[in-house]
Order: sequence, then structure tokens, then C-alpha cells
Amino acid sequence: MPTTTTSSALSQQRPTDLVSRLSSPEPEIKLKALREVKNQIIGNRTKKLSFLELGAIPAVASILSATLAEVDSRFAGGDDINIANKYTSNVLVQSAAALGSFACGFDAGVRAVLDAGAFSHLIRLLSVPDYKVADAGARSLRMIYQSKKAPKFEFLKEKNMEFLLSLLNSESENITGLGASIITHSCTTNEEQRALCDAGVLKKLVSLLEGSLSQRDASLESLAAVFKNNANVISEFVRLERGRVLSSIIELTKDRYPRTRLLACVCLIVLRNTSPQHLQDLVIKTGMVDLLLELLDDPGQVGDEASFVFSSLIAEKEDLQKLAFEANALDKLCNHFQKGQLHPKRLQGVLLALADLCSNLETCRSKFLSLQGLKLVADALTHDSVDVRTASCICLRSVTRSIKNLCAGYFMNEKLIIPLIQLLDDSSVSIQVAALGTISNILIDFTTRKSTFIQYGGVKHLAQLSKSMDSVVRLNALWALRNMVFLSDEKCKEGIFLELTASLLASLICDTEPSVQEQALALVRNLVDGCINSVEYVFSEDGIILDAVGRQLQRTSKAEIGIQGMYVLTNVASGNEFHKDAVMDRLLAQANDGTQSVIIKFLESHDSRLRTAAVWVVVNLTAPSCPGAVARFVKLQNTGVVSQVTSMVNDPCLDVKLRVKMVLNQSYDFR
Amino acid sequence: MPVRVVENSAPSHVSGPNSGCTSPPFCTLLSVGQAFSGTQNVSSLHKDEAWRVNVRIQGCDLDHGYLCGTMEALNVPMADTPVVTFWEGEIVDGKNYTFFTGKWEASREDDIRHWTKFPSFSPFLGQVEVDGGRSLDLSNCPYIFMRWKEQYFVNVGTDCGLTIAGFYYVCFSCTDGSISGFYYDPNSSPFQKLELKSTNEGRSGFSFSSYELQ
Repeated sequence: MPTTTTSSALSQQRPTDLVSRLSSPEPEIKLKALREVKNQIIGNRTKKLSFLELGAIPAVASILSATLAEVDSRFAGGDDINIANKYTSNVLVQSAAALGSFACGFDAGVRAVLDAGAFSHLIRLLSVPDYKVADAGARSLRMIYQSKKAPKFEFLKEKNMEFLLSLLNSESENITGLGASIITHSCTTNEEQRALCDAGVLKKLVSLLEGSLSQRDASLESLAAVFKNNANVISEFVRLERGRVLSSIIELTKDRYPRTRLLACVCLIVLRNTSPQHLQDLVIKTGMVDLLLELLDDPGQVGDEASFVFSSLIAEKEDLQKLAFEANALDKLCNHFQKGQLHPKRLQGVLLALADLCSNLETCRSKFLSLQGLKLVADALTHDSVDVRTASCICLRSVTRSIKNLCAGYFMNEKLIIPLIQLLDDSSVSIQVAALGTISNILIDFTTRKSTFIQYGGVKHLAQLSKSMDSVVRLNALWALRNMVFLSDEKCKEGIFLELTASLLASLICDTEPSVQEQALALVRNLVDGCINSVEYVFSEDGIILDAVGRQLQRTSKAEIGIQGMYVLTNVASGNEFHKDAVMDRLLAQANDGTQSVIIKFLESHDSRLRTAAVWVVVNLTAPSCPGAVARFVKLQNTGVVSQVTSMVNDPCLDVKLRVKMVLNQSYDFR
Repeated sequence: MPVRVVENSAPSHVSGPNSGCTSPPFCTLLSVGQAFSGTQNVSSLHKDEAWRVNVRIQGCDLDHGYLCGTMEALNVPMADTPVVTFWEGEIVDGKNYTFFTGKWEASREDDIRHWTKFPSFSPFLGQVEVDGGRSLDLSNCPYIFMRWKEQYFVNVGTDCGLTIAGFYYVCFSCTDGSISGFYYDPNSSPFQKLELKSTNEGRSGFSFSSYELQ
């Protein structure tokens, strides 16, 4: 005997059947299918994907659209959906809820909801008089606004601001929450932050701090968005109620709910990072450090986010890194690490927090190494997650800033080098760049272990990457090679030069990117230092490298490039007579338009580092022990270089002044 | 055998606000990669002896008053090979460090006794006695005063029979890159003098390498 379909029977049905029921002409079947789809996908990413692939989202969107059209026609007839049609109300609530569930934490779902044109329908629901319907619309839109894929809300349009204020002034918790979510998602520029403040949003958000838990949390998030990099808004905020509002946020860091504590902390960090004069009280700073370390223990989303927030608190701030160190942050973070099987997001956060902690202070690096942290990070270099691999490179980059351990050759070992070289083949440029950054530091190694890197094919990789189409990759590959050549032995230099070749080096010196030019010149500078024979590198292939250096020095207006180029010439000028004369030619060469020579240009520079480098070349060219020194001195005199140097005898930079005196003392032998 | 160092006195590390003192200038001759060679006098009552010494600067962070490098002692009697140590330096800048050591078993009297051995220190003596030199303007001084403390042996074990328990009071001349120093270790012969000159390693001029940490 046939029976009616119950909800439990429906839930046994496959998604294909459910999707087909969404188009049923029978209202009840359609409503039940709608409800069932919603129930099945809540918190279930796999189900969401499966329904998405079956086209469920456009089907739900079209039910929403058709039902709204029906409501509109009834409104036109003076009807009220609350009383007249409970079914319609239910359909609107269930379809909005289903769309919201598709969007919740699932970017592909957000994209599909937007593509199906459901966004404007959901906005329309907010003005439906039925409280439940408007609330369902607001909930759904909040889910969408949690995603970066949500459309940008244009605050600067007058109508939009009015709409936002109407949301924030609503009695409904979800609607005010939606207003706050929109601000969190879309407020990015100083102009928008200003416009929101002028419209009274700041005070409205402050009043929400007194509201429900969800309103409080939403308000804290929005306030952080309104504060970010806007010192004017912050100064307005801290004056509100004579500082009582700021105190109430500080108080919320002690709230019983972990999420509220975390968000209050985020808000204060954004405020402090923008306007460092605030929240300097040691008790507050220590309190935030302790709180975030405690929140790391939260097993859920709060714990996942706590390490990222911790990073934003201590990044580039030595005083806070010191406080964190004293609060045993390293032990706590390493303990988390050692737990094993962490969710990739959490692992990434812990690695980045360790990276920030070890970025400046040697005491932190030593402690990290004593806790056997290196082995843990080395293991993470081969993790399945791209984000974790990148974060482990960034962490290692901080740890390997320790000159003390570089001198001991501590980082040049196979456990680090092999996976790092493998990461250079990664298809992700961000990983390549992160790995190159770490390798750059490790290659400063002052021992004789640089050969380990060559042995595993590292130099071949770096030479290859220095030809990359991506200028950031080129820059970082050259940076690593430049550090590797620093004080390296002749064999190592020879190997690198063979891989790179003179013509490639010459073309990199003339690269389109100034930062690449600078690193290429710095590499050549190191290459021609050390054993006197190494000067010959710049003369190979008819002096193609030296010619490129000369051309770049004539052309550049950037001090950093000038400095590296002048030290290349200084080092070459510390060679034999032939070397010194070649440098003379490049120094005195004038640009095609007959403007001043390179050496005069740099001696007159406003940058004292550049003047220093320029005087050093002259010191070397006029070294009195060399037979050709007198002739070079005369030539420098005839071209105005000597008088320029003499005029610098009271240079405001002591280093320049002392080098000028060296030149003048040497010249006494020629007069 | 190494002498144990008790670090219980007030450190010289300046944590209070800087009272308007300016730090020593940057000097290219004291930059990373620069090499120096000379001798350390290790004479005692019983014998007259000097070891050849090479020094190389490996790291420099003027903001933190930090310098580090390696020191190679060449003709050490009880060692088969040259003995290389890694040292870390504190630059006296009034900001991070003053002339008072405050650790490594060096009293203020020991500090003054050693610093006054450098003729270039004499203009600063009066002020140093008052506040350790915290308020001195060193920005135009052609000398850089430092303390170098060896941290570990690079190429030999700690059982090599040598000590790195002490530290050096160092005066660097920005003019010509020469370095004078006095080793201080209450358990070793007093005032062992270190004398180094900037070396250009067989070149007819000065050369400069550089690296950059990421």
C-alpha cells in the first residue's frame, strides 16, 4: 500500500533524486526537498560539492526568485505573506538557508550562489515584513560575506551607506550582524573608513559591543577593519567617552568566551600596529601575549587563528618578541608542533609564529635550536600542504639569520639542504621564493661546507632560476648565489661561474629590474674579491662583464646599484696594473651626451655610502706601491677627479673624510 | 682549562632611554669580510712569546652594537693546527653598551685600567668615570671601542688545553683599520696585547665583499 514520503525516507535518497524533486510541480514535495538539501549539506563539504555539481544551487536560486515574484504580486494586491501564506514564507526561509549553507566556508559554493543571481534576491528578503524571512536572508548573506569571493560593498555610494545604516539600526541580531560583516569584508581604504565614521558607524558599532555575543563579536571584527592603517579614525575612537570604550575592549580580552577574547585582541593589535603610541602599558602587552598563548590550546577555530594573531602582535616588534620569549612562547609553540598530526592551518600558523619570534632575537633562535626545533621544521618542508611548506621555509629563514650558527656551519646539512633544493622545483612561485630566501641565508655559511650544496645540484638550480621569467625568482636566485660567493674558495667560485657564464652575468647586470641589477653586481663584487686571480673573471669573453658594469654605472640613478657597481671597480682596482687601467677607462668614460664621468657623478652624490665607495676606487688606483700610480694620478688630476676629492676633505661623513685623507696622503708621493 | 665565568653582576647592556648620545660612525674597514692580521703577546714571567693571529669580521649589526667574527691563532705551541675561535663583540655606543662591562668578572676598576691603556681613550676618561660613557658623543670619534668575547672553538674541541674564558678590550682605528686589544682573564697573564693591521691579502689595494641576510 502506498504511503506518504517521510523526511527520514527522503534523507535516504540520493542527491540526484533530491535535485530532481526541487523542480517538482508539487509544492509540498518541493519544500521538503528544499529542507532536505539544506539539512544534508550543513557542515558537509563533500555533500556541498556533490549537490553543486548536480546543479542544485541554480535550482534553489530559481525557487527563491519565483517565490519572491509571487510575493511581490501578492503585495501589489495588498496581501500579507505572514498571514496569508505560511507555505511561501517557509519556502523563502528554506531556500535562503540552503543557499547560506552552500556558501558557508565553501568558496565554490559562494561563487555558484553569486553566479545563479541569488545575491540580489537575498538582499530583497531583508525588506520582507515577515521577521523569519528577513532573518533567514540576513543569515545567508552573512555566510556569503565571510568569503573573499563576496562582492565588494561600495560604501561611498550614498544609497549604499543609507542601506548599511538601516541594517546596523535594525532590531534583528542577524541583520545588525550582517551590517557588521559587510564592513569587515569590504572596508579597505582610508576613504571608506572616513566615510563610515562620518556616517556615525563608529558609534553604532560601539553600541553593538553592549549587545548579544554574536553582535559583540561582529562589532569587534568590524572595528578592526575600520581602524586598520587609519590613525585619524583611531584617535577619534580612543577619545570616545573619554577612553571608556577602549577600556571596554581591553576588558573584553578577559571575556569568558574564547572567540570574543581573540577578537578583542585582534582589535587592539590593529589599533596598536597603526598607532603605536597607544597600549604601551606593559601589563596590557604582557596580557595580550599570555592570552594568545593560552588561546593556542583551544582545539577549534580560535586555536587555529590564535597563532596568526600572535604573529601580527609580535611581527617586527622586538620589545614584544622579548616579552613573548620571557612568557615561554617558544616552548609552547614547539610543544604544539611536537603533538604531531596538526591540521595544516594550525601547523602553518605555528610555523609563522615561530618565524616572527625568531626574526630578530638571537636568544630566541638559540632557544629554538636547543628545543630541537630544526628537526621539526625540516620535516615540515616536505608536508603535503603548500601553505605548510611555505611557512616552514619562512620559519627557517628567520632561524638561519643566526651568524653564530652560520659560522659553526650548523645549517649546511643534508636534512635541510636536500628538501630545500627539491622545493626549488615546486610549481608554486611563492614556495620557490620562500625556499630561495632560506637558501640565501644558509649559503652565507662560513665553513668549507658550501660544497655540500654544489654536490646536491643546488648551484645548477640557482643558475637556472636566475634565468626565470619571474623577476622575483631571478632576484632571489641571484641573492643566494651572491651570498654563496661571499668569501668562498676558488673552486666554489669557478663552479658558479661555469654555471652562470660571463654572458648571462652581463645580461643580468643590465636586467630590466633594478633589484636584479643590484644583486648581479653584488655577486660580481664578491666574485672578484679574495684571491687575486679571481679578478680575471670580469675580463673573460672580451671583458663583457666589466663593460656591462661600466654601462650600468653610467645609466643608473639608483644609489644601491651605484654602490655595488663601484665596489666591483674597487675590487678590480686592487689587482694588477692591467686591472687598474681597465677600471680607469670605465671610470672616466663619459656618457654619449658628453655629461660628467661616472666617478665625478658618484663623488658628488648625496648618499655618503656612494661617496665612500667612489673614494675607495681612487684610493686603489693611486696606491703608491704600483708603478703606474703616478700616470693614473696625473690622469685623474687632468679630469678633475683629484680636485673633487680634495674638496671633500671635510666631508660630513667620517668614513668619506678618512678615505679622502688616504688619497691625499698617497698623493704626496707623486708631488 | 676554561675558567668558569659567573655572570652575576649588573650587565653593561643599556636598557634605559638613550640620553642623547650618538653612536660611533660606520667604517668600511670594519665591515663584513674584512681581514686583519698581527700578533697576540702571551708572555709570562717565565717566557717571552707571541702568537700570530688572523681575524675576519663575519657579522655586523650597528643598530644592536653587535659585531662578530673568527680569530685564528697560528703558532699555538700545544696545537697541531691553527686554532680558530668564533667571537662576538659589543660595540661601545652608549646606546646598547657602555664602557663598563658589568660581567665576565670585570669590575669598573678593571674596565678603566684596560681602557686607559689606549691613548685614544684619554679624552673620554672623565665622563666614563661618571656614567660609563653613556652620554658621550662618539659619532665623530675616529676610534671604535669594543669588547670581543670568544664563544666557541671552531676547529678544535674544548679539550685542546686552551682557554677562551676571558675577553678582549679592543680599540679600532677608523683611519687605517688597525686594531689594538688587551686580553682580560683574571686567571691568565694580565694585559696580553693584541695588535692587528688591516690586510689586503696579496692585493695592491683594498677589496670589499658583502652578503645580505633575508
